[in-house]
Amino acid sequence: MASTILIVDDHPGFRATARALLVAEGFEVVGEVDDGRSALEAARRLKPDLVLLDVQLPDTDGFAVASELCKENGSGPIVVLTSSHDASDFGSLVQGCGAAAFVPKAELTGAVLRAVLR
Amino acid sequence: MRRSTLAAVVGLGLLLSGIALALIFTSNHEEHPEFAAFTQLVVTWSFILGGLVAWARRPDNDFGRLMTAVGMSVFVGALSESNESIIFTIGWVFGGIFIAVFIHALLAFPRGYLETRLIYAIVSIAYVELTLGAFLVGLFDDPTNPSNDCPSCPANAFLVADSPTTVAALNALMMILAVPALVASLYVFRRRWRAASVPLRRVLAPVYLTAGTTLLLLAVALVVSSISERAGQIVFWVLVFVFASVPIAFIFGLVRGRLARAGMGQLMLELGQAHEPGQLREALARALGDENLRLAYWIPETQSFADLDGSPIELPEPGGEELATMAERDGQVVAALIHHRSLEEDRLFVEAAAAAAALALENERRLAALAEAQARNRALLDAVPDLMFRMDRDGNYLEYKGAREDLAVPPEQLIGSNVRDVLPSDVADRFVEDIRRAVDTGKLMRHDYRLEIDGVPRDWEARIVKAGDDAVVIGREFTEQKRAQLELERLHAELQQRHRDLEHERDFIRTVVDSTPSLLCLTTPGGYVVRFNSSLERLSGRADDDLVKGEAFWDVFIAPEEREEVQRALERVAEEGGRGEYENTWVTASGEPRRVAWSTAPLRDDRGDPRLLVCGMDITERKRHEDELRRSRARIVEASDVERRRLERNLHDGAQQRLVSLSLVLRLAQAKIEADPAGADELLGQASEELGQALEELRELARGIHPAVLSDRGLGPALEALAARSPLPVGLELDGDRLPEPIEAAAYYVVAEALTNVVKYAEASSVAVSIERVNGRAIVEIADDGVGGADPGGGSGLRGLVDRVEALDGLFVVESAPGRGTRIRAEFPCG
Repeated sequence: MASTILIVDDHPGFRATARALLVAEGFEVVGEVDDGRSALEAARRLKPDLVLLDVQLPDTDGFAVASELCKENGSGPIVVLTSSHDASDFGSLVQGCGAAAFVPKAELTGAVLRAVLR
Repeated sequence: MRRSTLAAVVGLGLLLSGIALALIFTSNHEEHPEFAAFTQLVVTWSFILGGLVAWARRPDNDFGRLMTAVGMSVFVGALSESNESIIFTIGWVFGGIFIAVFIHALLAFPRGYLETRLIYAIVSIAYVELTLGAFLVGLFDDPTNPSNDCPSCPANAFLVADSPTTVAALNALMMILAVPALVASLYVFRRRWRAASVPLRRVLAPVYLTAGTTLLLLAVALVVSSISERAGQIVFWVLVFVFASVPIAFIFGLVRGRLARAGMGQLMLELGQAHEPGQLREALARALGDENLRLAYWIPETQSFADLDGSPIELPEPGGEELATMAERDGQVVAALIHHRSLEEDRLFVEAAAAAAALALENERRLAALAEAQARNRALLDAVPDLMFRMDRDGNYLEYKGAREDLAVPPEQLIGSNVRDVLPSDVADRFVEDIRRAVDTGKLMRHDYRLEIDGVPRDWEARIVKAGDDAVVIGREFTEQKRAQLELERLHAELQQRHRDLEHERDFIRTVVDSTPSLLCLTTPGGYVVRFNSSLERLSGRADDDLVKGEAFWDVFIAPEEREEVQRALERVAEEGGRGEYENTWVTASGEPRRVAWSTAPLRDDRGDPRLLVCGMDITERKRHEDELRRSRARIVEASDVERRRLERNLHDGAQQRLVSLSLVLRLAQAKIEADPAGADELLGQASEELGQALEELRELARGIHPAVLSDRGLGPALEALAARSPLPVGLELDGDRLPEPIEAAAYYVVAEALTNVVKYAEASSVAVSIERVNGRAIVEIADDGVGGADPGGGSGLRGLVDRVEALDGLFVVESAPGRGTRIRAEFPCG
């Protein structure tokens, strides 16, 4: 059974490209949302295996959303942060928010996400 | 001497004599009572009477009383005639006491007191020997002892032991003391004799002769009696008579002195014959028996005494060897007779002589006064530094007085020569002319002249007065005065120049003070206004007049909320006396606040009073500019930050996102290329489009940062590109030359921002852009035909343009009346 993914990003172009890439790699994209508040709501509702979460969101940032999602111990989804910036631009914020991994947008592949899910 | 004293003394003497006679004639051991009684009476009464005479003449002198005491003390010896042992012993032991009193009287003669320590010692030895010494001898001497030759004398009541050896030893001891004392006495007499004047010697001679003989005999008796009792007794008897003759000698000396002065008649005779100066003194000296007599004449003009030569004479001090007796005529002192003090005893005689000589003295006094006046005038003349000549009316020198070095020719050649031979002709002519005029008219003539004496030019003033048929010429030198006057004139001129310089300096300072933009106020050290300059008048709107003077500086010029601070500052300056620098809000008379930087400095005003100078500078405009600059800088920094954020956002949201998508699409296409070549091809087409858009966005972004064409090709091509991209028709009017790079950049952004605003807000149909250079200024103008109403302070875009322009010292103006389009104008200085 294919792993389910929720894509959170305010750029429609990236969402569409990421969906096409992940579906082609055998993942099931269960939802797309464009801000932090919708992301929390969709994660609770859709219960995806993994949330691909953009750091820069219009209402809040990805770290805050990741912290909120990771509070639900065990039952929550695996969170993978993504950004057009490099992880070093964010320092310790990446480690402190409970996200399982950080993947630069340009390096997103199905293999990377599968490695995280394993 | 009082009569009662006289009666008491005589009465006591008679009583003692009576007792003595009774004792002598009842004595059972007196072998020669008549002789004893005789000597007793002669010695006692010669001294008592002689003493009384001296006592009466000189009651202030103790000599008379001492002589009387000698006479009385002789009585003690008469007690030895008594048959009663105790009375006999007192007389026998202390009978010699009168000798001590006699030595005392003799050494006190003629002054009446013991003058020196030596004399005092001699007298003391005499008293000690004849009281204590005699008593000691009496303790060991028995009168009935054969050696004393008085077998029938009563017993010695004091006798302790009959010891002739002890007596001899004691006598020898006393001799050792007595002989030097006697020798010393003789020395004293000799000294006195030598010091005495002739009249005094007349008195002293008989007394010293008899007394000296007495003392000599006493010494002889002492020596002889220790060798032969009998010979001693003979000497003793002689001694008694010589001794008794001392008072007689005194009276004799007195009488002798008087006899010498008895020649009053002779004096009167001599006074009549005394015609030559000095004869009068000799006559008076002879009459008064004082060869050293001097005459001092009273000179009323100088209120002092002088001798016949006019030399001043000081009268003798009281208590000295000399006395002065005044000779008076009609109650006025004429002269003083200065004579020996011994003449005091004949005061009346001296005064009579002085009175008799008064007329003659008066004549001589006139001589003395004349001599004195002459001496005084001569001294006065000598003291005058002037040259004086007597000359006849032809100019011949007759007499002169003056220093040799002041004369044009040696003095020996002067007298008899003519002024024309001595002085240069022009000077000599003037002299002869003035001498003749003075002699003819009797008027005082005067003129100045210059003479070269020993090569030195000297200035003189001549005064010429008539003197009989001749003239007296007085020459007074004033070379020094003339030099001093020239120096004075030079100093005066210098002072005037200094004064003028000071006035110029003062005018200069006044001009500076009134034209300087500095605000100057002079206050008291406590901060009360004295005066202030025109600049402060203009700033404060107050006149420098009496309304403000004396008011506290802070009350007049300082804003109310800062008055206390300024008052404290000035008080601190007053206490510490230093300088201070402050910045405060001053206030004009109309209440407008002005920011002023001010300082204080202590100084003294033109009267030398301590003052405080408050010196201020109106920095209100400067402050405003500074504030504006600060704000402008802050805005530039802020604008820069905003721009950076905008760039970051644009990159992130635009090109970066497109490149991320491109990366994912290419990866997807790669994955599909074999399984789904048609899908992959579609994805590659999509990627190509995405890449083109990314490139376009990057170009647009780069232009926003800094258009490449602006730096490469200049403002004109850059603005043409801008106009071409604008959705509105843009009319461009450009000056060909390039401007400095910062101005081109600023001008570009002004146009770019203005065009953006026109497109966004103006609703315009066209816009005109012009760049021109006028008088070294580049003028950029953007005018549209839109709705107008733009607010330059409103948007951050326009505000940023203002900062950018002003940073280059440019001017930015927006004209945007509603409905009349907007005209933006930026001007830059460009050399």
